Amino acid sequence: MNRIIAIAAIWVALVALPWWLPLIGGYTALGSKVLIYAIATMGLNVLLGFTGGLSFGQAAYFGLGAYGAGMTLKYLAPSTPLAILIGTLVGGAAATLLGPLVMRRRGIYFAMITIAIGQLFYFIMVRWNEVTGGEDGLAGFSRQDIHFGPWLYRLDETNFYYLVLLGFTVAVAVMWMVLQSPLGHTFVAIRENRRRIEFLGVRVERYIWAAFAIAGFITAFAGTLNALLFNFTSPQDLHWILSGNFVIMIVLGGMRSFFGPLIGVIIFVVAQDYLSSITGNWMTFIGMIFVLIVLLFPRGVLGILARRVEVR
Amino acid sequence: MTNKLPSVSRRTIVKAGAALGASAVFSPAILTYAQGETPIKIGMHDPFTGTYAAEGESEKRGALMALAEINAKGGMLGRKIELVTEDDAANAGLAAQKAHKLIEQDKVSLLMGAVSSATALSVNQVAHEKGMIYMVTGGHTDPVTGAQCHWTTFRICTTTYMLAAGLAETLYKKFGGKWYFITPDYAFGHTLQESYAKLLKKMGGTVLGNSLAPLGTTDFSSYLIKAEQSKPDVLINLTDGQDLVNSMKQAAQFGLTKKFAIGGGLSELEVLRALPREAKLGWWTLEWYWNQPNTPHVKEWVAAYQKIYTDGTYPSARTWFGYAGLHSLAMGVAKAKSLDAVKIARALEGLELPPEIKLQPNKVYFRPGDHQLMSSEFPGEVIQDGTYPNLFKVAEIVSGEKVALPVAETGCKLDYKS
Repeated sequence: MNRIIAIAAIWVALVALPWWLPLIGGYTALGSKVLIYAIATMGLNVLLGFTGGLSFGQAAYFGLGAYGAGMTLKYLAPSTPLAILIGTLVGGAAATLLGPLVMRRRGIYFAMITIAIGQLFYFIMVRWNEVTGGEDGLAGFSRQDIHFGPWLYRLDETNFYYLVLLGFTVAVAVMWMVLQSPLGHTFVAIRENRRRIEFLGVRVERYIWAAFAIAGFITAFAGTLNALLFNFTSPQDLHWILSGNFVIMIVLGGMRSFFGPLIGVIIFVVAQDYLSSITGNWMTFIGMIFVLIVLLFPRGVLGILARRVEVR
Repeated sequence: MTNKLPSVSRRTIVKAGAALGASAVFSPAILTYAQGETPIKIGMHDPFTGTYAAEGESEKRGALMALAEINAKGGMLGRKIELVTEDDAANAGLAAQKAHKLIEQDKVSLLMGAVSSATALSVNQVAHEKGMIYMVTGGHTDPVTGAQCHWTTFRICTTTYMLAAGLAETLYKKFGGKWYFITPDYAFGHTLQESYAKLLKKMGGTVLGNSLAPLGTTDFSSYLIKAEQSKPDVLINLTDGQDLVNSMKQAAQFGLTKKFAIGGGLSELEVLRALPREAKLGWWTLEWYWNQPNTPHVKEWVAAYQKIYTDGTYPSARTWFGYAGLHSLAMGVAKAKSLDAVKIARALEGLELPPEIKLQPNKVYFRPGDHQLMSSEFPGEVIQDGTYPNLFKVAEIVSGEKVALPVAETGCKLDYKS
């Protein structure tokens, strides 16, 4: 019962965000950014927290989604839904195709190869100047209003936030269903004891591939929304620094819990936004927050809250 | 159970204290409305952390100088002005986010800033959507006032093309038309090399060869030997950072500096100051220099800078960008007599900077067709044994109008709504 009330409260807060966020010193685009990063990190957490695969190159699929959406709008057709669809497919397909390269590796090698693949895409975007805009980034496209037959949905700041919220809802529902299914239970079992699952005759690598692909599709979906948020994307959206930040956000929030990454994103993005306006040394504070949380709450903010509820 | 006051635990008190602290942090935003007439806010984004922090800081200093001068003369439209600065860390996504913050939360009326080109392009997009005037201070990439130009955007610093053209002409006149290139093997290097090659051919010179050096090259000897064998008049070295240090060091060891001129691209006072002695050589271009003995107002301005900033630094081109940027905005608003973006844009088109602001000899104005400021290039030679701030000898001050691409060739079509 408590759980239902908590979840209902979260959704009411999210729906009403454009009204209350400006009152406490925020702005709608910040809300959109938090939700977009939450989709990306929750997607990554299917692989990282639930299957136990440490991907350090997740930004590649985020960026591929962003470039896919941007290029669709710029070169193909002025349609927002088409841009989201193509961007998601491009990023997700890349993860699916590269999965077999990754799935055989374990531990540090898994992390290394995901970084390498991530940087591969980064350098493609930096160097393929004529198409991607190189280091300057891809600009010159803008999100288009959506037509439902005779109805028009104008994508201004607030309406775009609701589009992102809809995307967040769909992504959360999909991930929740996956993690509740036998597939999701197998993911967790692999994380807990890989060898035992192997002895049971489960083809573990195929499941890691599946987790990698699902994470890829969902992160790419977040990437498409990120490109539409500012109508701009740059190679920094594929860089390993962003991949690392994704992992930090997940660890901050708690990688064993479903909504943990959302909390981590809120802490990271809001701290970045707020502290960097006050001081040039804001990175120090982010680092300090990270160290404190890792030392005091090794299971992340939500991990510790969940445990307290259990104990009571 | 008896009726008694609810017990207050130590933990609750700590929580309440934390909440009180948090509310104190948020309150300044509410207080500003109580101070009578509200000032006009101008939002500035620049990198104050990371690789470009020194450049960002210089631009901010320049803008603050202009701010004090404008407020001393009564502000904008009779209201005081206020500068709200945000760190973009030279990250395009963060810059766009901060632009939203400045517009929606801080309610700024005008935008300015940028060191990195990508941030200039991303904020260019945001400003255009919001219909807000945006004065790009740094950020040299051509599309800002070219293929991606918008009616809302104006730019102080020169284009990449103008940088190349300003230096190329001087080198061609002084040393001759047979050039060899060492180009870093990535997109920006290629673009720069292509503009140089195009300019050289237009002037009647020839490209003897072009070596592509991967980023992070430590041994440049094979490229340098190839360059030497081709007997050029000029060796153009477009590498950057540590690669530049390594290549220049080796060029000096090979004695190449005595055989032909070595030139590069854009340099800045901040960059020259940080270079080791071995790499401090060759021909470069600055966009403004503090030592202009024959230009009126420059000496006074440098003195005014040093009165405010007593850390022994000298103003650089970046300082001037910030200074000229804010003054241009103020002049545009004064001429438009309004904060309406379209009126300000129209007022800025063709606006000429007065001598005490342009601080250089040639005519400096915003070109109406692409909103690019026609400011000068300062090609010259680095003084190897010079100590800060005497690091550069300006050979010539080339008028921006002379080296800029004609508007028709920039690819810019201003998108005013009719």
